[in-house]
Amino acid sequence: MTTTTVTQARHAPSPASGKQSSLAGTWVLLRFMLRRDRIRTTVWVLSLGVLGAYMAQAPKAYADNEAELHDMATLFADPVTRMMTGPGFGMDDPSFERMFSAAYVLMTYLVIALFSIFTVVRHTRVEEETDREELVRANVVGRHARLTATLTLGVVANVIIAAIIFAGAAAEYSAEGSALVAVGSLAVGLFFLAITAVTVQLSEASRGASAMAGGVLALAYVIRMGGDAAEQGGNALSWFSPLAWTQQTAPYVEDRWWPLLLPFGCTVVFIWLGYFLSTKRDVGASLLHARLGRAEAKPSLGTPLGLASHGLLGGLRGWGIGLILSGLLFGSFAQTMIDAADDLPDDFAQLFAGDDMMLGYLAYMGVFMAVLVAAAAVSGITQLRIEESRGRAEYALSAPVGRSYWFGSHLTVLVVGVLLILGLTGLGMGIGAVASLDEGGGEYFGQLFLATFLQGSTVLAVIGIVAALFGWLPKAAGGVGWVIVGYGGIVAAFGGLLELPDWAYDLNIFGHLAQYPVDDISWAPILWLSLIGVVGITIGLLGFNRREVNRV
Amino acid sequence: MSENAPVIYAQDLVKEFGPVRALDNLNLNIAPGEVHGYLGPNGAGKSTTMRVLLGLLRPDSGVIQLFGRDPWKDAVALHRRLAYVPGDVELWPNLTGGEVIDMFLRLRANEGETNFSTKRRDDLIERFDLDPRKKTRTYSKGNRQKVALISALAADVDLLLLDEPTAGLDPLMEVVFQEVIKEAKAQGKSVLLSSHILAQVEALSDRISIIRAGHIVESGTLSELRHMTRTTIEVETEKSAQQLQGLSFVHDFHAEGERTVFEVDGDHIREVMDSLAGLGIRSIVAHPPTLEQLLMRHYGDDLSGRGVSSSTTKKVS
Repeated sequence: MTTTTVTQARHAPSPASGKQSSLAGTWVLLRFMLRRDRIRTTVWVLSLGVLGAYMAQAPKAYADNEAELHDMATLFADPVTRMMTGPGFGMDDPSFERMFSAAYVLMTYLVIALFSIFTVVRHTRVEEETDREELVRANVVGRHARLTATLTLGVVANVIIAAIIFAGAAAEYSAEGSALVAVGSLAVGLFFLAITAVTVQLSEASRGASAMAGGVLALAYVIRMGGDAAEQGGNALSWFSPLAWTQQTAPYVEDRWWPLLLPFGCTVVFIWLGYFLSTKRDVGASLLHARLGRAEAKPSLGTPLGLASHGLLGGLRGWGIGLILSGLLFGSFAQTMIDAADDLPDDFAQLFAGDDMMLGYLAYMGVFMAVLVAAAAVSGITQLRIEESRGRAEYALSAPVGRSYWFGSHLTVLVVGVLLILGLTGLGMGIGAVASLDEGGGEYFGQLFLATFLQGSTVLAVIGIVAALFGWLPKAAGGVGWVIVGYGGIVAAFGGLLELPDWAYDLNIFGHLAQYPVDDISWAPILWLSLIGVVGITIGLLGFNRREVNRV
Repeated sequence: MSENAPVIYAQDLVKEFGPVRALDNLNLNIAPGEVHGYLGPNGAGKSTTMRVLLGLLRPDSGVIQLFGRDPWKDAVALHRRLAYVPGDVELWPNLTGGEVIDMFLRLRANEGETNFSTKRRDDLIERFDLDPRKKTRTYSKGNRQKVALISALAADVDLLLLDEPTAGLDPLMEVVFQEVIKEAKAQGKSVLLSSHILAQVEALSDRISIIRAGHIVESGTLSELRHMTRTTIEVETEKSAQQLQGLSFVHDFHAEGERTVFEVDGDHIREVMDSLAGLGIRSIVAHPPTLEQLLMRHYGDDLSGRGVSSSTTKKVS
């Protein structure tokens, strides 16, 4: 090791070796990353690979015989399910392998994309943000070494994941289709490695870089929702999303390879862009230079509420814009739903909670939105924990600001913020639906708004649980919050497919409200959930008032 | 409360973090209007003391009072009368320095009053040479420290808790810092000034307490502590300085040609200077003793003390 770095150092000043010197130290960094992440990456890779391979078995667990297989195919031919899981190729002539690729593959792809995003942000922007990169770059380490080492790590991990998925799928099903599923997972993984390689150049904060890349993932998912719900096999919209490209290969049905050129081509372009942008900025900086700000504070900042707003509004604004736009978009699928429902056989309508498929769909989307709004709330309380562990809470509390007042102000901003987001999302969904429906939209507007807004009780319950933990067991608060939200999200998106026992569905906090407007409003769960929220917040305030701040 | 009741009063204060005893029967007494130097090596418990004084940590046993009240119970009322500068200042990255200063001044203003002295704030910003329009994420450690110092010094409070406030300041700014602390003292404010560098607090403090492994090992005025301090003197003389070697208050004597280096007890400087004057001094340099020298000399080489390893004590600093 020493000898190679020494040689490179000696060569570095000569212009001929410029290319090589910008990569100096890549190998050392890569080994260092592997050492740091030897457990984390191994766990991610193995669990993703096993998850993907296990999904290949899932259809057989779900359907025992041909008749059940056909029932299942009807479910996946329907637009709402297609919206969640993919274009649904080959459902007119179903088989287990086709069911696997139609129903279970997208779920795995989503998690793989998240893994890619986390990996790149963790090894690039987080290192710069914490000034560790400065320490590393002061050694014989080239400008591109870190990005190269990170991408190498990401590519190798994704290749291993794809190999495990292939092994799991090919053991049961045809080799070519299985290879398409596996290479598709690789395409998604690499695409989001590349996207994140760009976003980490754009934002000075690792949170910002993750949020941007996560935004691309969310957008990719939402766009393909529109395309895949519109018709079986997807429509033109399905060609504008990297997630949809990997499903347009139609594994086990048409087995076409050429759509994969799109994600792999984009990967090359975005990786190039990432390298290019990284040469245009300083270490630790973003592409945008920080501007000078106000020399004096606005009067509103001088109160605990002002401080809380300052800390939380940025994040809430981001979540809010994303969710309100999604609400509009989901609402605007209303007519699509009615058209699609008209094309389906009569007995199919029984699969849904209500007669009116469109309302059923929108009630369902309301739950989905509530999960995302709850995620915004959990992220807000996690931020509070960061305030505490970075020592800023301690400093703020050295002013004459009571502990309950400090925590209470943050909770007030958070509760008002998320309820506002939820309300506006409901409005967006209502407006989208009314605008898209050919006839009779007006009567649904109020119902849709109310349906979404009633979900506020669930969100409040989540805030209550996490706030109570923050008051008594601050280290557990964020983790438990994300588990509640993540579980709710998985059950909401894929619930019917998972074949879980009843108690497992009861555990999902988002599953207790009646499906208004399909069903009547039932007030009992609304009151219970709100009560959990209020009691939780009270317990949390009491706890925070009693516990020590930032105890080591 | 009577005039002479202590501003800070700690008796047998104990604070434990799991197996680590961060404060070990700590006693501390600070009178109104006093600048108190709080000296100790890294990890001795200085920051833990500050956080107990702020009512952010709850002591396991012992008495702690600020202005005669319990900081854990009466935190808010007490915080109106004090300002704190953390040792490792973390600020809100997307606020500017000026916004942070104003925010604290407003938070600290008494109910009903929304105004504070912008004159005092602007004056301090100018003296500390801070650009208040920059986002705090672009500030160096020294500049973040200035922000915290300005917001503390511009406030109308009775007590300043300063945790290693000059660690990131350059020598010019340290001079400004000494001036403003003297002004604060002239206004009758009490100051608890922690540091691990003896020379820094020597110039400002009325009294000094030395903490080691969570326990106050020495406390008193500077002249009371003179017996503990030794000044190192390097001198070049025309005549040999050999005659000093035998004196009881001169230690570690080394002579090399005209150059002589030795240590002298703090309360015998005058005798040594008198003798040196007759020898024809060409150059003379005197070093104040460092805290480490002092602790090493008086408490042996086990700096971390009492079986607590230095790595564990570090965590609780």
